[in-house]
Amino acid sequence: MGGRILLFVAAVALAVGIPGAFAGSAADPGVTSGSILIGGTTPLSGSAQAFASVAKGANAYFKYVNARGGVFRRKINYKFVDDGYIPAETIRQTRQLVQEDKVFAIFNSLGTEHNLAIRPYLNEVEVPQLFAATGATTMGRDHGQFPWTIAYQPTYIAEGAMYGSYIRRTMPTRRIAILYQDDDYGKDLINGLRRGLGARASRIVAREGHAATDDNVESQVAKLKSSGATVLMLFTTPKFTIQAFQYVNKLGWKPKIFVNAVSSASNIMTISSSRGENKRVEGAISIVFLKDPNDPKWARDPGIKLYRQIMRKYGSGNPKDVYNVYGMSVAYTFVDALRRAGRNPTRRSVMNAALRLNETKNPFVLPGMTVRTSASDHYPLDQARLERWSRGKWISFGGLLKARS
Amino acid sequence: MPQSATDVADFAQQVVSGLSSGSIYASVALAIVIVYRSTGAVNFAQGEMATFTTFVAWTLVDHGLGYWGAFALTLLIAFAGGIVLERVLIRPVEDAPVLTVVILTIGLFIALNGLMNWIWSAQVRSFPPNRPFPTRTIDVGGVAISIQDIGIVAVTLALVFALYVLFQHTKVGLALRAAALDRDSSRLVGVRVGWMLALGWGLAAALGAVAGLFTAAAFPPLEPNMMRAVLIYAFAAAVLGGLTSPVGAVVGGLALGVTLNLLSAYVDFVGTQLRLPVALVLILGVLLVRPAGLFGRVAVRRV
Amino acid sequence: MRVVRPVVTVLAVAAAVAAVFLTPRWVSDIDLAEMGVWFIAILGLNIVTGYTGQISLGHGAFMAAGGYATAILVADHGVRDLWTIPLAGLVGGLAGFVVGVPALRLTGLYLALVTFGLAVATPQLLKWDKIDGFTGGNGGIQLFNEDALLGKGFEDVEVLGHSLTFTRAVHYLTWAIAGALLLLAWLILRGAPGRAFRATRDSEIAAAASGVNLAAHKTAAFAISAFYAGVAGALYVIAAAFVSPDTFPVSLSLTLLVGAVVAGLGSLWGLVAGAAFITFADDLAENVSTAPGVPDTVYGLVLVVLVLLLPTGVAGGLRRLLSPLTSRL
Repeated sequence: MGGRILLFVAAVALAVGIPGAFAGSAADPGVTSGSILIGGTTPLSGSAQAFASVAKGANAYFKYVNARGGVFRRKINYKFVDDGYIPAETIRQTRQLVQEDKVFAIFNSLGTEHNLAIRPYLNEVEVPQLFAATGATTMGRDHGQFPWTIAYQPTYIAEGAMYGSYIRRTMPTRRIAILYQDDDYGKDLINGLRRGLGARASRIVAREGHAATDDNVESQVAKLKSSGATVLMLFTTPKFTIQAFQYVNKLGWKPKIFVNAVSSASNIMTISSSRGENKRVEGAISIVFLKDPNDPKWARDPGIKLYRQIMRKYGSGNPKDVYNVYGMSVAYTFVDALRRAGRNPTRRSVMNAALRLNETKNPFVLPGMTVRTSASDHYPLDQARLERWSRGKWISFGGLLKARS
Repeated sequence: MPQSATDVADFAQQVVSGLSSGSIYASVALAIVIVYRSTGAVNFAQGEMATFTTFVAWTLVDHGLGYWGAFALTLLIAFAGGIVLERVLIRPVEDAPVLTVVILTIGLFIALNGLMNWIWSAQVRSFPPNRPFPTRTIDVGGVAISIQDIGIVAVTLALVFALYVLFQHTKVGLALRAAALDRDSSRLVGVRVGWMLALGWGLAAALGAVAGLFTAAAFPPLEPNMMRAVLIYAFAAAVLGGLTSPVGAVVGGLALGVTLNLLSAYVDFVGTQLRLPVALVLILGVLLVRPAGLFGRVAVRRV
Repeated sequence: MRVVRPVVTVLAVAAAVAAVFLTPRWVSDIDLAEMGVWFIAILGLNIVTGYTGQISLGHGAFMAAGGYATAILVADHGVRDLWTIPLAGLVGGLAGFVVGVPALRLTGLYLALVTFGLAVATPQLLKWDKIDGFTGGNGGIQLFNEDALLGKGFEDVEVLGHSLTFTRAVHYLTWAIAGALLLLAWLILRGAPGRAFRATRDSEIAAAASGVNLAAHKTAAFAISAFYAGVAGALYVIAAAFVSPDTFPVSLSLTLLVGAVVAGLGSLWGLVAGAAFITFADDLAENVSTAPGVPDTVYGLVLVVLVLLLPTGVAGGLRRLLSPLTSRL
């Protein structure tokens, strides 16, 4: 009798307890045999909600992957929550995701100050902070101190340096004026520009900042014009870039204009040019690393075709919005890292995979670009091409440039 | 301070650009003053109402209406919308504490902003090419003045004049003023107070619509948050001029526009970072001397 | 009509209560700690706006003063975070005093809009690069690994022999302080100062005629109220182990006033409801849909409907609900 009971207990333990124990030791929070839960923050309400497409584009791509069987039969559930673009709220929501929702990793959270605010915490609890949506250089540079963190897009310093070295090569004696958003984003671009200019950094004759919450920058543009500069750098967001083009034209100023990548999507350039009326937009220079869905040259491109198909079927926003492409690109890279981590992903194995990327077929980035990371390279997207606005569209020129900070 | 001829031109350029942005602050401030006079509360949703009507105009133009046709139709829609808002939302809390009304307008602010993101999305967009005024610029001694700047200032001043005539020289204006001043006595002499208050909201909404359309032209692009900063400056302008005074709102708006520009252009430590804090300190300074603003009337207190 | 009003009110309150408990995600320590912070802040705001009749749209600035005081004391001077809380309150109170003096000249919405300007200017001022060695500029101050912080690195905390998670410790700490401050507020408001505050609110002339020192009481109300905001700011910073200028945006000051009005001005009964509204209403709105603009639309409409149904706040609604009972007694 006693023997039977013992046997029964053993059987129950085998059936219930022990497989559970195995699963507990093998899998990290958020992973089951049929799903993997990741989370992130993004502004869904308030004044910065235009950025929400970065998360929504990624989510649409995950739905597409899930409909085709997921990754190793696991569906990717991406829980993105609102932080109202307030860093303290980013911390609160991230802790909710980690402690209450038990997400496997934090993915694609948006904003520089916001990602910096949660970085110490995530590294302390060893939860991957994957492909943070910020161009702050520290995310890649300080990998030694924060090994659980990796960003995605080219850094602002690298971008600024591309403009700087181009100016040094092609127009070294011109006087340069800068309109910038007065925060880390604008200042990083300026630092990069100075680095790229090297000895020519002294050609920067004027710089004027503005707050993200300002209504207009006419006064700043007028002041920059009076500096006598013939090159104008626009290191600012779409709203103020559009204004700057209008005010430059109004003041009769004719500088060579550089537009940073945050504001150079073709729909924004089309608005800036008042549909071709404003000639100051012609010849403007920027960099590009994603396929722009509004650019006619990609109309037949398989990547953009896939993009449109996913947006139709799974997307929720405006398919002209290039932030959706960014979201899909970063989601593609996450799926790639998850595949590389193997059948039984752990936080450590996914983090390791994210640091050993070698993606040559990401359909959403420019042809020829490789999304690559290594023990010494913590910058997934670090290539770009220069482009020039000509008769209503961007024309790339020169080869792929290495955007290294 | 300016010395050479180009310096003078630069200075004048800053003043001109300050006047043009100042007249936009002035028209929103005017709307705020009209609502304050009729309801006794400040309307936090004034800016979002303006943006909303601008989106309506955008949609009309997008459907093939000419700019000025859309402009006129939008003003009518805004006017009607203002009246409806007052009747439906403000009327039930007419006798509640003033803060209740303020909170109501904050709720309206958030809801309208959400609605715009819902209907039109957060994407930036430009108003179609046939803007309110030609984009041509005249050069006056090295100072670039656009036809648009002149147009905006002129229309704002014309609106103030029209409102002045309405308030001071018409029967409706008299009733409007009476209703704002003393509801009970006005009722006794046969003024339809409820409708007068609603009329105030309608006028304010229409004024806001003009401001929104001008903002979309002068401070592009059109997007749901377009009027946020403008609303803050308009509040400042209205307080500076006196919440009860339409003339004060316009003077306050123009003064603020010019002051902000000159502060950031010529006072080094202010730059662009401190222009808002310093402007607010200046306004506080004015209020300490004149607690009801430059042109406002101090309410007589009765026991 | 007489029947409809209370019925609607009961339904609205029931809906609000149900909403809190039907939150899909179980209400966590993090939520409850945050709710405690809002409780303290709107309690303070109620003292100056509800009881004394001075409208402040700038209480986010006083929270910022307290929050930065805590962050700087912990990060630069190694002061234990618990000790910084009263100091942060004093810094907030001092800021309130400084604002309260010129506020004496201003009335009604002039005061409201000037304090609103304060809320607008504060984040800008905190970003100013001439003082960023002090404030940390745009990026703010990270306290995560500071030794002087309760449960450094969000680790477990030992309290009277019990081990608590960091979030639970902060949750209890916040509500312990909230309880103490509620008691303090009740003592102030039921005594002579409270009577003077209310007399000032109802009629300044009558109050002055009966011997109330208007200037002293109005400034005192501002300072006490800002003291509460400063404490709330300190707790907010301790819970996040982080502070930055954008932690205290303009919208925060508006949110506080919304919370105070939803709670009901001039009464202490609705404060929990007001704090719950601030903490959970936006999360609930996002549960409806995260489609662009929908959360804000829902939140805004809920606020509008709530104000229309309960123009005197939850406290006023409760009073109306209970008055037939109490008057019969």
